[in-house]
Parts: sequence; C-alpha cells; structure tokens
Amino acid sequence: MSVGYRAVQWNSHKLRYDAVAAGLVLLFIASFIGLSSVLHAGDHAIAAPVLLIRATGACAIVLLHIALCIGPAARLDRRFLPLLANRRHLGVLTFLVGLLHAVLVLGYYHGFGDDNPAVSLLHNTFTGPADLLSVRRFPFELLGAAALAILFLMAATSHDFWLKNLSPSTWKRLHMLVYVAYALLVAHVALGALPSGRAWPAAAALCAGAAIVCSLHIATGLRETRPDRAVPTQPDPWIDAGPAADIPESRARTVCTPGGERIAVFKHNGAISAITNVCRHQGGPLGEGKVIDGCITCPWHGWQYRPGDGCSPPPFTEKVATYQVRVVAGRVQVNPHALPPGTPVEPARVEETRA
Amino acid sequence: MSAHTAQLAVLLLIAYAGIGLAFAIAFVLRGVWRLDPVARGAPIGFRLLILPGAVALWPVLLRRWRAAALRSTEGTGP
Repeated sequence: MSVGYRAVQWNSHKLRYDAVAAGLVLLFIASFIGLSSVLHAGDHAIAAPVLLIRATGACAIVLLHIALCIGPAARLDRRFLPLLANRRHLGVLTFLVGLLHAVLVLGYYHGFGDDNPAVSLLHNTFTGPADLLSVRRFPFELLGAAALAILFLMAATSHDFWLKNLSPSTWKRLHMLVYVAYALLVAHVALGALPSGRAWPAAAALCAGAAIVCSLHIATGLRETRPDRAVPTQPDPWIDAGPAADIPESRARTVCTPGGERIAVFKHNGAISAITNVCRHQGGPLGEGKVIDGCITCPWHGWQYRPGDGCSPPPFTEKVATYQVRVVAGRVQVNPHALPPGTPVEPARVEETRA
Repeated sequence: MSAHTAQLAVLLLIAYAGIGLAFAIAFVLRGVWRLDPVARGAPIGFRLLILPGAVALWPVLLRRWRAAALRSTEGTGP
C-alpha cells in the first residue's frame, strides 16, 4: 500500500527473495545444461544453443508451476505466506525467462534466412511439414507464443497502478488467464518435446507438475467450500460466529453469511471486531492475517486496516466494509448486513454478555 | 499461411506496437496523472515500469484518458 506510486516497493525481504529466485534460475539453467551434456555425450551430443533453449524453456515452466502452487499452498499452510508476498516478482521472472527462450528459438531456428524471424515462424507454422491435425507435426510454437503473450500482459500489468486503473475485477480476470497460459504451455511441451520419443523424463515431470498444481487447487477449493456457513440466530438476523474464547488473540475466525459473504471476526486486546474478509488490494483473505501494530494486516501483501472502522491508517485512504458484533453468553454474533466501508463500529468486549 | 500473409500479420503487429509506443511515451509523461492523480510526480522508475503495459493496452488507456480529459473540461466550464 502506498500514497504515491513507486517503481518497486523494495524491502530487505523482497530483495532477498528476488536475489534467491534469480540465483536459483541461473543454477537451474546451469545444472540442466550440465546434466544434459553428460547424458547426451558423444554421437548424441546436443548443440549448445539447443541446450540453452531447452534449459530456459524448462526453467520457465518450472517457475510457472511454483507461481501457481504458492497461492493454494499458502492457504493450506501459513508457512508458505512469505513466498506469496512477492509472487508477482516470480511471475515477472517467469515471463523474462520465457522471453529469453522465445528469442533463442526465433534466433536459432528462424534467424538465419532472408525473412524476418517472426515472418519465418508464422510462414513455416502453416506451411511445409506443420499440420494442425497431427500430434507429431502440430505447430506447437504457436501455443508457446500465445502463452508468452499472456505472461507478458500479466507481467506488464502487475504494478498496483494497473490494479487500480483497470478496476480490480478486470485486473483479476486478466490475471486469471495464467491458467490458460499454463494449459497452453503444457500442450506446447507435450506436442513439442514429447513426440521425439526420448522425452520420458520430461513427460513424467510434466505429469507430476500438473498433478501437484491440480491437487493443491482442489484441496484449497475443498477447504474453502467447507460448511462454515453460519446460521442466523432466530428471530433476528445476527449470525453465530462461535465462542469468543476460541478466537486466538490478534487472529480471526472467518464466517460466511447466508448470502455467501465472508466476514473476518478478529479478537484483539479483549475486543471483538468484524470486517469483510476481502482485502481491497488483490482480494486477499484478511481473516487469515493477524493484527500487527493495532491493524488487521492482510497476509498476502501487508495492507492494513483498523479493526474499529475498517480504514487504513493515515496517510493511506483504503477502506473496507465493517459489521456490527456482539457477544452473547460467551458466543460472538455478527450482523451480516455490511456497513459502508470505513463505518466505525464499537467493538464488543469478550466478557460482554447479553441475555 | 503464405509468406505475404505472414508479412502482413507481422506488419500489423509492429504497427500496433509502434502506435502503442508513441502513445505510451506521451501517456507516461503527460497523461498518467490525469487518469490517476496519485501518479502526479511519480518517479521515472514507475513511469518506465508501466510503459510496456501502456504499449499493449493503449486503446483502453486512450479511451480512459479522453474520458478523464472530458470530465476535467466539464468540471472547469462556466
């Protein structure tokens, strides 16, 4: 969160994160080339540019797997949250490595003729040996190019400026295209590398990666659809959010209204407050965050809101919806009617009891 | 795809990107703060960072920039 835009909001954690990510990318590429050179020595030696093309391609798809797994992994286990906080840098790194792969492919396979390399790629895609109806001769380069275009759009619009000015819903839809990019890349690898007949390690890795991505997303989805829907306390509309004593200090319990809205019910210094579970930034789950310096802090990127009124501390201006809360016989009850963002609400005391 | 069609496709792409680059340079220098007042006085690093997105999404930004300029004109009218 920021009152003005900066290029990158660096801090020591993000710098370490990026340095480690860049180092691991270089290590992966070097190891891939080294291992491939050993495995394909002698008559089966592979040209150095081809090795580099394969290494960068493999690295890009591994990075994409990691980027896709971080989100659900962090929902399932808080220990992954530090990886989530800087996921967009990982996305940009994925695009850059993918771009390097594409440039190497264009240069090596299409750069030595009279035609422009891009013209040569398009021309050869739909003529000659390429065949859209054949698995072995499918122009898989097109799939990679489409995936790269999506990754570019995502990387280019990863700054908060775009989130605000494209509108959060449009931005979210745009960035959900990462799953389309992933599917395109899986098909790109499957149709490009695997028909060669000697690519069973790549096939196994691709299947394992897809299985991990799918499993994590399914597990997170099942956890999200767990029956946490609260029942209104008749005859009034207040919903039960469980015993106040069970909410950990400075943490929250998330409840779901009959209408499907998620509410984060926080306990801090013996007071209970409720705000929407959806962060204004990227829709992060506020209920999975904690109270830091008196403010509810989103676990994704650290955006903060005061428990009492849902407003970000000055000079920030973001606001989220608040809810009325009360404690009845030791149980927290929440009025599911959302108050306008930034509306002050008197917190309920844990020891408060109503008849 | 014939070589001629491939050339045409690449030419269209270059034209789109070329117009986008010209627009994006003007946008990050003069238009960005009209669309989003928070961006007024933003550092050059921020402007460079949003440049590729502005090249790619220039039709969207052009529409929004025009709308913001119209609102600004109406707001200062008699």
